[in-house]
Amino acid sequence: MRWIRTLRADTEGTAETLGGKALGLVLLHRLGLPVPAAFVLTTAACRAFPRGLGGELTEAVSWLERETGRTFGGPGRPLAVSVRSGAAVSMPGMMSTVLGLGLTTDATACLADETGDRRFALDARRRFLSSFARAVLDTDATGAVEDLVRQRCGRPIPDDAARQLAWAVEAVLASWDAPRARTYRAVHDLPDGPGTAVIVQAMVYGNRDERSGSGVAFSRDPTTGEPGPYGDVVFGRQGEDVVSGRSATRPLRELAAREPAVWARLLDALRRIEGHYRDACHVEFTFQSGELWLLQVRPDRFTGGAAVRLAVELADERVIDRREAVLRISPRQLLHVGTPRLASPRDADLFARGVGACPGVAVGRVATTAELAVRMAAEAPVVLVRPETSPHDMHGLAAATGIVTARGGPASHAAIVARALGKPAVVGVAGLAVDAGSGTVTAGGRTLADGALVTLDGTTGDVALGTPRVTAGETDAHLHQLLAWADDIAEDHSERAAPQRLEAAHAALRRP
Amino acid sequence: MTSPEIRPTDPGLWVLHALRCAGASSLGRVRAFTGLDGPDAESELIDLGAAGLVTRTPGAMPFWALTDAGRAADAERVTAELDAADARRAVHAAFARFLVLNPELLDLCTAWQLRRVDGVMTANDHGDPAYDSRVLRRFADLDRRAVPVLAQLAAALPRFGRYRHRLAEALARAAAGEPAYVTDSTVSYHTVWAELHEDLLATLGLRR
Repeated sequence: MRWIRTLRADTEGTAETLGGKALGLVLLHRLGLPVPAAFVLTTAACRAFPRGLGGELTEAVSWLERETGRTFGGPGRPLAVSVRSGAAVSMPGMMSTVLGLGLTTDATACLADETGDRRFALDARRRFLSSFARAVLDTDATGAVEDLVRQRCGRPIPDDAARQLAWAVEAVLASWDAPRARTYRAVHDLPDGPGTAVIVQAMVYGNRDERSGSGVAFSRDPTTGEPGPYGDVVFGRQGEDVVSGRSATRPLRELAAREPAVWARLLDALRRIEGHYRDACHVEFTFQSGELWLLQVRPDRFTGGAAVRLAVELADERVIDRREAVLRISPRQLLHVGTPRLASPRDADLFARGVGACPGVAVGRVATTAELAVRMAAEAPVVLVRPETSPHDMHGLAAATGIVTARGGPASHAAIVARALGKPAVVGVAGLAVDAGSGTVTAGGRTLADGALVTLDGTTGDVALGTPRVTAGETDAHLHQLLAWADDIAEDHSERAAPQRLEAAHAALRRP
Repeated sequence: MTSPEIRPTDPGLWVLHALRCAGASSLGRVRAFTGLDGPDAESELIDLGAAGLVTRTPGAMPFWALTDAGRAADAERVTAELDAADARRAVHAAFARFLVLNPELLDLCTAWQLRRVDGVMTANDHGDPAYDSRVLRRFADLDRRAVPVLAQLAAALPRFGRYRHRLAEALARAAAGEPAYVTDSTVSYHTVWAELHEDLLATLGLRR
């Protein structure tokens, strides 16, 4: 095939032709890890679309049917697919995704027959319809999405798998050219020309039964750098529920007791992937009826103390040498290393406790919406308190001094953004109710209004009232180790500030 | 900063509505929102206070806020104004167009505050003029696309004309080298935009 590549261990291509996501799937195949069968429309195909594709889409779907032993749109065991974008450089939140495509009325009935679980089949179809509508309408649609599509697009969602696929591919490609995506690229200095690749992959279902679920697994704790695995899992739910922070996640370790075989395979996978990247990594995974599948892989870039610990421990594990460990930390990263903590949490007036998602202490006034946070931040520091966050809260997250969310775990949107910004954050505060309408937050029987002063500790997950005493960062053994190596490399053991010591080592290593 | 051409017929409503859209505000913010002179705005606030619709919280930075009665009065008056002008359809249509631009505006604010350095998202330290001017050019581009939406709103209800004036002012100040006018101050492009968003919701009686 000219425009489409099936994804296997021997698939050749670069990030420019296959996109970053597909390249990750090829890597997983090469490492012998379980990946649902998939093919990718190359960026070249996308540039030419709808010209050129010809019969290749049909041919590729036939291949997928043979690989999975299923039939696209039924009859018999139905094949459903996900359709995702995958550009060379990821553009988080910009592009459309369709899940469960191919679940026509007939195929849904077939899926109900196959699984003996009509509710599951209908839920899968509902998820398909809403993700399809979101993609073709380019807005968040809920409720009667089929009517909405017919109204706005002048045609109904086809009850034919092949036509669904053609339309979904078209919509995912169109999302590359949406004004919002163009602006994103302009700002990040990414070219408009290359276009995106589109991945079509056989569905696996985290909501299949009680032995199914989804999650995100980090090989090391991205907050501290501590050797992992670390992450979030949801049982009986699909992966999009985890990433969005929309459903209450469980600590990844709970998988060990509930699904020991899945857990063992996951540990093995993370070990192999780390070995390949020589760096920390994370995977998105689904397990269906006790069987593990990997859906995406990425190397991680840590910041602050986590980055230092990772570099030192990778050197101790002889994955990289000391020179590389020193080179991996930029002097400006050291600015984030000395982490303040609550001096004595037991003496503080604790309001609530969640999971520390980004270390450090933040003191500020409660704001229950992003807009309010931005407005209040103009006058005094703000702690943004939300049920969960979405990209639409970004301006509030950026304006806030600290972040608290009721839902989501360390891989939720709020946690990721908080770490990126180096802002102390506490997520997954069970029992915290946030009512933006009345501007109040309630936990443990106590209610605070917008403007109440709180202090949060992003290491321990404590949220206290008022301004309890805070201690400056404790001395860090990993940082001492890294700086000692830096001094050896620079052959200079004089007293200097940490960034200078690192800078001197970098200069020495750059010398020919 | 006053713009007599869009001075509202009912300054009391205008001041009340400022607190509805901007939240608790200093006198300075009420002035910026309404374009009224200091003494005029203050005298309106005092009248509203006497009517039990707003309260003043004293302190180092005293501020004014709506009471529950003030919030209800604002909703009532804004609805009456909308119906009197027969403007509901037009404001609805403009709001739908606003919602298309809104996520992009939030992306741009984010890009102004954060950028990817060595693959890691970090706070934008504004040390790279080329990056900042790239973002500002996109702000200007978005602003050009917002102009017709604001024109539609102002044609329906003249008080919306004030936003065009304030957004243009913020963009011009930002372009002239005052970075706080992008996202950081109470008169920044983002703040004015957020107030417009709140105003549209309040005017149409919608929840976010």
